[in-house]
Amino acid sequence: MTAVMAIAYNTVREALSRRVVLLFLFGALVLIILSPLFSFLSPREELTLLKSLGLGVIQLASMFICIVMGISLIPAEIERRTIYTVLSKPVQRYEFVLGKFLGGILTMLFNILFMGIVFFAVVAWRATPKQALDLWKGFMMIFFQMSILVSLAIFFSVFLTPFVNFFMSLGVYIVGTLSSVTESLMKGENRTAIQKGIGAVLHYLLPQFGNFNVQNKIIHPETRIINEGVYYIQNIGYAILYIAVLLIIAVIIFDRREV
Amino acid sequence: MESAIKIEGLTKEYLNKTTGQMVRAVDDLHLEVYRGEIFGFLGPNGAGKTTTIKMLLGLIFPTKGDAWIFGKPIGDVSIKRQIAYLPESPYFYEYLTGRQVLDFYARLFGVPAGERKKKVDTLLDMVGLSRDGDKTLRNYSKGMLQRIGIAQALINDPELLFLDEPTSGLDPMARIEIRDLIIRLKQQGKTVFLSSHQLLEVELICDRVSILNRGKLLKAGKLDELLPSGRVEIVAENVSDDGVIAKIRDAGGVVQRQDGRIVVQQPDDASVNRVVDIIRSASGTIRSLTPQRRTLEELFVSTIEEVEKR
Repeated sequence: MTAVMAIAYNTVREALSRRVVLLFLFGALVLIILSPLFSFLSPREELTLLKSLGLGVIQLASMFICIVMGISLIPAEIERRTIYTVLSKPVQRYEFVLGKFLGGILTMLFNILFMGIVFFAVVAWRATPKQALDLWKGFMMIFFQMSILVSLAIFFSVFLTPFVNFFMSLGVYIVGTLSSVTESLMKGENRTAIQKGIGAVLHYLLPQFGNFNVQNKIIHPETRIINEGVYYIQNIGYAILYIAVLLIIAVIIFDRREV
Repeated sequence: MESAIKIEGLTKEYLNKTTGQMVRAVDDLHLEVYRGEIFGFLGPNGAGKTTTIKMLLGLIFPTKGDAWIFGKPIGDVSIKRQIAYLPESPYFYEYLTGRQVLDFYARLFGVPAGERKKKVDTLLDMVGLSRDGDKTLRNYSKGMLQRIGIAQALINDPELLFLDEPTSGLDPMARIEIRDLIIRLKQQGKTVFLSSHQLLEVELICDRVSILNRGKLLKAGKLDELLPSGRVEIVAENVSDDGVIAKIRDAGGVVQRQDGRIVVQQPDDASVNRVVDIIRSASGTIRSLTPQRRTLEELFVSTIEEVEKR
């Protein structure tokens, strides 16, 4: 476990020193801070617009940081040969993958927390305490969504080039976000068996990122999620399980990979 | 003698993506390295040296064959507690300082925090980087990176060190320091597996060497066995008579006249006494008699050329 933590710590340090990560973070922070200026677009629903914009920016920035960072976590170590001095130490390959993943999600946690705190400060004095606190549920779900995305990028990175991985991770994220579409494709009455089959494969195989989008409930407090607590627990459990499966497959492949 | 590394029929084949053909980077390699020796692993570029080291470290996998380190099969992670690796032109995390990078490697071995700091300071001092320990590695010169590479290789006080071109990029003084360090490691009972192009260096410090070319082992053995002393150079004065010189040539000597002296190269020990007798009987004065050993460079070049001609 010491090796995993050492690799994770080093991964966070590296990710937070990457200009592209800082650029996305800085850009998102600027947009969040300036978001009240956009209230002229919808003066009567300033808070709705503010929350919608802020959560959207956090999710989008997190997604790009996550993919850009995730696709290079392992390939960069192989390309610049730093992996030689790590794997020649008493480090199992699964520890290396786990350390990289842990570093990746800790980086995301830091980014989401940082953007979240700033956004919370922007919203807090305009909203009721409950509305402001509700934002944290959104941040939490974005974090779990991004954790799946990090594991997905790591999974692809053990057998794809970073370039292909970028588009694969982005593509899966987009399709996975549209889980209602894949569900309707699977269950729709006018679909052929093949269409239903494809829908089922997409729906069950790809991560259901869409289930983590609770922004609608946060933006419109009058909307209710039935059994809200269960909904959150189920989706967090799903995220943990999905991540575990992806990492196990990634380790199996990486264990056989020459570096 | 107890073996540190034992290799039996190690073979590595790659698919050359350009030609679509299989290439043998290492071909049926058999080798044994003994505990406590400095073993020179020589060969031209592309001979398969780094591929062999990477297989021994479990970074790549053999197509065929087996190898053991301290009796345990390669791939057993526990042996990595006893070994160290310095890659050729090592790359490190350039955003870290020298101190941070050594701390990172110490963490991989699970060295406790208090001990880590002391260890890092000692190693920085040992490789002469105490003053530069807080600079980020992106500001290090090639020589400084090589020193950090050596320091990280010593972090676990290893029993066996794989050093791939350890003096590459270093200035002459630093080379001598590294050479001395390798000798000190041997004196402490460590085993060093040294891959190098610096043949003079290898000749100076290695107990045994092997020569690899196109993945095949061409020669392996003790330096004394591989570089036998056979030729003898005799320098003599007061020998100018053509008849005497003809007699020396008849005895197998190659004679050169130099400023009133003659320099005789005798191909073997056997005829040296005859030539000395000829010179002395002609009232010549023997100034020196030096056994000439073939250099490792000569052996290396002739071995490779011999194979390439076939």
